Amino acid sequence: MSDFLIHVISVSCIYGILALSLNLQAGFTGLMNFGLIAMFGCGVYGAGLVHRFGLPVALGPALALILAVLMGLFLARLGRRLSTDYWGIATLSIAEIARIFATNLEPLTGGAQGISGLPLLFSGLRPWDGAARLALFAVILGVAWLICERLVRSNFGLGMKLIREEPQLARALGYDIDRIRSTVMVIASVIAAVAGVLYAHYLSFVGPELLLAPETFLIWAMVIIGGIANNRGVIAGAFAMQFMMAYVPFVKDYFALPSDFVAAARLMLSGGVILGFLLLRPQGIFPERVGGRHDH
Amino acid sequence: MTTELLAVRGLAKAFGLSNVLEDVSFSVMPGEIVGLLGPNGSGKSTALNVISGFLPRSAGTITFAGRDISDAPVHAITDLGLVRTFQLPSMPHRMTVREVLKAGKRDDGGRFAPVAYGPEIDVLLQEFRLAHVAGHAASALSGGQKKLLSVATALRANPKLLCLDEPTAGVHVSLRSDLVGVLRNYVAQGGACLVVEHDMLFIRDLCTRCIVLDRGNIIADCLPGELENNPRVVEAYLGKAIEKGGMAQ
Repeated sequence: MSDFLIHVISVSCIYGILALSLNLQAGFTGLMNFGLIAMFGCGVYGAGLVHRFGLPVALGPALALILAVLMGLFLARLGRRLSTDYWGIATLSIAEIARIFATNLEPLTGGAQGISGLPLLFSGLRPWDGAARLALFAVILGVAWLICERLVRSNFGLGMKLIREEPQLARALGYDIDRIRSTVMVIASVIAAVAGVLYAHYLSFVGPELLLAPETFLIWAMVIIGGIANNRGVIAGAFAMQFMMAYVPFVKDYFALPSDFVAAARLMLSGGVILGFLLLRPQGIFPERVGGRHDH
Repeated sequence: MTTELLAVRGLAKAFGLSNVLEDVSFSVMPGEIVGLLGPNGSGKSTALNVISGFLPRSAGTITFAGRDISDAPVHAITDLGLVRTFQLPSMPHRMTVREVLKAGKRDDGGRFAPVAYGPEIDVLLQEFRLAHVAGHAASALSGGQKKLLSVATALRANPKLLCLDEPTAGVHVSLRSDLVGVLRNYVAQGGACLVVEHDMLFIRDLCTRCIVLDRGNIIADCLPGELENNPRVVEAYLGKAIEKGGMAQ
């Protein structure tokens, strides 16, 4: 397999994990999180900060976990005071605030220059290091998928779906909506942070440009294209979007377009996919499977 | 001496300058089926919303199963065993009838345990004549079927007191007697009901006692058979029906 293909599949796996995290929130619980990238940032900067201050690498995931739990709880707490649409706007604002902090807190985060030189995973296995990383990412994607599937197929998952669609009915049946939303936010935040730690050690670099808002909308595009509330679908969506993104530079070269084209085309691709699917096939390529095996 | 299951004392609710409930006091004993009646705008549904925790009270106290639930959150009230249905039940688009019924009993078999449909789900589906639509999206049901599903789902929560807001509105006449049977059976097994309803035949068939509200005040607390002899009730609520040919119509 070519290095390029290994790279694209590796990044697809990381984005697949992020898509699963967003799907848990938006797809199954109706939590329209437009600041998912802040959860991812907890993982990225968890790994980065540990490296910057010379602490053991193994502490990176631990710090990421703590930051992710706090971020999940904070966003869930915010949701108690806001309706879901206003909460969505608030999450976007929180993610932007987090990015601005990362850019300006130079003594802590390295500012706009970021933190570089993070240990690359499996670097001692050259020339098989790329394949080893890919295998690790694929396994973690599989584990994340398994966790999400078990969760949504459990009694807790039934409560998530009821809250998503009929919160009033859920309340009347005794579901503690705040508690369920908080639990989902923490689980989803931890999953996104795991993707962040992997990405930081894949790029060997951490910087505020990893937390740009368009990244959140790219993940939204993956979820929408694949099929909201379908875990397999959103992983397929992540792969489809990443492959499309990866081939944009080839299109630029083929048509001899200016280099600005790549960034603009990627943004247009995210926006176009979201718009096109919402208008023409809002359920995505793989729609949610309504009901269990008893109902088919 | 039997203790009250639900005790409402001096309950008041105002929306701005409008007093929807004024000094409402009543109780429900275990094994009772109490009808809460009154003309439109008398405060029946508001009373139900306040009792079940969906609206904050303006004054008064509510105790349920010996606990003060006046300011308790809805899920805590439900945990104590007070479960309610809605006048206009809205059902999910992306959940089947069977799933909604299953969701009626929270964490049945463990919080994170896989969803498993026991035989009791099928019994309820049969009892409420919903078996043939068990795999359909719950939102695709007719208005009457949604009412039945909401009652069945509330029963799954194993309530000590079931509060029903107009359970027969939109339900076919042939199913009403079935509903009476199901609710009587539930009460015979230790439950109690508080029913907001306009259908007098249903009230007569089902209820052991009736409370009539008018403009936020209780004007009668009597047996169903005594309603038509109560001049205040007739004046406030049933006058027109009697003029047209009797209460039952």
